[in-house]
Amino acid sequence: MTTITENPTYKLELASSPHVHSKWNTKQAMWLVVIALIPPVISALVFFGFYQLSIIAVSVGFCVGTEITIKKFRKRKVSIQDGSAVITGLLLALILPPNFSLVSTALGAIVAISIGKEIFGGIGFNIFNPALVGRAFLQAAFPVPMTTWYTPNYSVDTITSATPLSAMKFDHVFADISNMFIGNIGGSIGETSSLAVLIGGIFLLVIGIVNWRVPIAMTTGVIVFGGIFWLIDPVKYPNPAFHLFAGGFLFGALFMATDWVTSPLTAKGMWLYGLGISLMVVIIRLFGGLPEGVMYAILLMNAFVPLINKYTRPKVFGGTV
Amino acid sequence: MKKQVTLIKEYTKGIWETNPVFKQVLGMCPTLAVTVSAENGIAMGLATTFVLVFSSFIISLVRKLIPTQVRIASYIVVIATFVTIVDLVMKAQFPELSVALGPYIPLIVVNCIILGRQEAFASKNSVGRSVTDALGMGSGFLLALFMLGSIREILGSRTILGFQVMPNFYEPWLIMILPAGAFLTLGLLMGTFATFSARKKRIEREFILKKHTSSRQIISATEGGAE
Amino acid sequence: MKTVVKMIVTLSLIGIISGGFLSYIAAWAAPKIEKHRKEATAKAIFLVQPEGKKYESVEKIDFECYKVLGENDQLLGFALPYEGNGFQGKIRLMIGIKDDLKEMTGLQVLEQVETPGLGTRVTEEDYLKQFVGLITEPRIDWVKGAAPDKSNEIQAITGATISSKAVVLIVNDGIKKLRSIKDSGGKL
Repeated sequence: MTTITENPTYKLELASSPHVHSKWNTKQAMWLVVIALIPPVISALVFFGFYQLSIIAVSVGFCVGTEITIKKFRKRKVSIQDGSAVITGLLLALILPPNFSLVSTALGAIVAISIGKEIFGGIGFNIFNPALVGRAFLQAAFPVPMTTWYTPNYSVDTITSATPLSAMKFDHVFADISNMFIGNIGGSIGETSSLAVLIGGIFLLVIGIVNWRVPIAMTTGVIVFGGIFWLIDPVKYPNPAFHLFAGGFLFGALFMATDWVTSPLTAKGMWLYGLGISLMVVIIRLFGGLPEGVMYAILLMNAFVPLINKYTRPKVFGGTV
Repeated sequence: MKKQVTLIKEYTKGIWETNPVFKQVLGMCPTLAVTVSAENGIAMGLATTFVLVFSSFIISLVRKLIPTQVRIASYIVVIATFVTIVDLVMKAQFPELSVALGPYIPLIVVNCIILGRQEAFASKNSVGRSVTDALGMGSGFLLALFMLGSIREILGSRTILGFQVMPNFYEPWLIMILPAGAFLTLGLLMGTFATFSARKKRIEREFILKKHTSSRQIISATEGGAE
Repeated sequence: MKTVVKMIVTLSLIGIISGGFLSYIAAWAAPKIEKHRKEATAKAIFLVQPEGKKYESVEKIDFECYKVLGENDQLLGFALPYEGNGFQGKIRLMIGIKDDLKEMTGLQVLEQVETPGLGTRVTEEDYLKQFVGLITEPRIDWVKGAAPDKSNEIQAITGATISSKAVVLIVNDGIKKLRSIKDSGGKL
């Protein structure tokens, strides 16, 4: 029992074949993810200044601290060296707004690890992505600071104090795509620069840490679903490229939705999961009360993962339906 | 034959052993919905206790006269009468509280704690015992609602019963006065209670095992108490 | 047969007793409840019409509206309770307006279920006092993130734009309704 608790790759054996093969063990994979997050961190420092480094430090520090405390309290082996708490901390910090309060960041980190992960039994057992649980908690607890955006350092035009998504939703103004691609827009610390996110994400895809199906399914989905509305009314609805580069979509697609523990195990399931997320993102962005929907879309689809796994399980050859 | 337990035990079981909120998980609708402040929790707890005690009193009094086929209907009419009384009195005497609790006062009618106690207890026991049981369950419910309300009020609006207890630099967690905060708080409280009772049980068992070799009387005494 | 009779008798008895008891309680409570309701209405009316001394209900219209009278019984304006959709549910307002329907005298929020800490800020004094002396023609407008520069504009609350806008839309709707009655020659 304890071996399963400590090693998330054991989870994969719950599914029938084919099993996921990886040349990396959990520990190596986790540290490679940390490396992949370096480009978004750099973009955060470039666009929003060095204060963001303290948010990242507090977030990582409290995630690791919470994990150690809870493991000690429950008299379990402390498995901090697997790096998962570090990743949760990094991911949480990168999806917070710039210049966010450090006390609130610490609270978000504690909630992410305790309620997002350890309460379910630790790594491998959590239903929801811990970093997103932390952010969802902060969003509900401090709605005003969580939607206060800052103009990036190299801003030239006037609408950048709002995020491109809230500008679209409340003022019907569409931001410039090239600025959105580079990251010279308002938004969460590490999400604004699509370029930096893509560098890190493609690194993960190439070395095989994350499966390509979920990001590709999400991209396809957002182009198709966003495109349908764009074709219906190009003035009212943004084009698919806007959807792709706005808010936390790419960051969510490459780093959040691809989390090993909370995404489906089968190929068919991954497609279903990715398409489901992108459909919900488009619906929330265009018709919801909030400007951005990637966080809620991923959390909602996380809840469907056990069901997706059940219905997309490969059948035994010659077996009945 | 059912063993008769003491009246004190009859009262205290509602507070701890079979607490309606933390152990039986009954009456979740008012528990989650009204506990945005400690005051609301107390008001809801008192209103429910009132209805529970008087319904139990009446029903245990006439329990032998009510035909089994129409017993649930009779219980509901009795309960609804007391709920209407509470609702009218609150509207007349405490209009602000009545607005704060909104539709949840009339909804006490469908609170499963009340109907559950009539069906499970008051319809089978004497008046004194039923009222004691109702008081116990009511106290347990009141205690649970007060705990939830206090935690949510302190964290969500810096105050308890209207008095500021958290410093000004503390930024209130708005989530605590939203429905999500109710679920989070209740879940964490339930987990805490479960942890404590599991630990208590384990200690008791170890105690019995240790004494087993030396004295047999203690075992029988403990078993008698635990039913 | 005997059980059926017994069932009917028991239920009827319980019904009669509780009904009788309740009518007694209701007779006691009804005047008090009515008094509280009236007090609440009066309080809201005088908050939106601070110079008013008396008010009376406007007859012969299909919605609730009050005439507010000054010291010498002269007509000061109207107090109109009006509701519409907010961000999460209905917002019910008390709109105070001068008798020519061109200038507001105040605004109060009677009921709302907006998000605590965000949308609920429309009930705060800072927001509501913007409506005092606000010109209602051609309609009330809102601006975001800056102080308004026209006499018919208010500033929407940052982070609660939807609720702020909703309040303005409800006020505009209510005034439109009053105006249409006045324009069609109806007596207010």
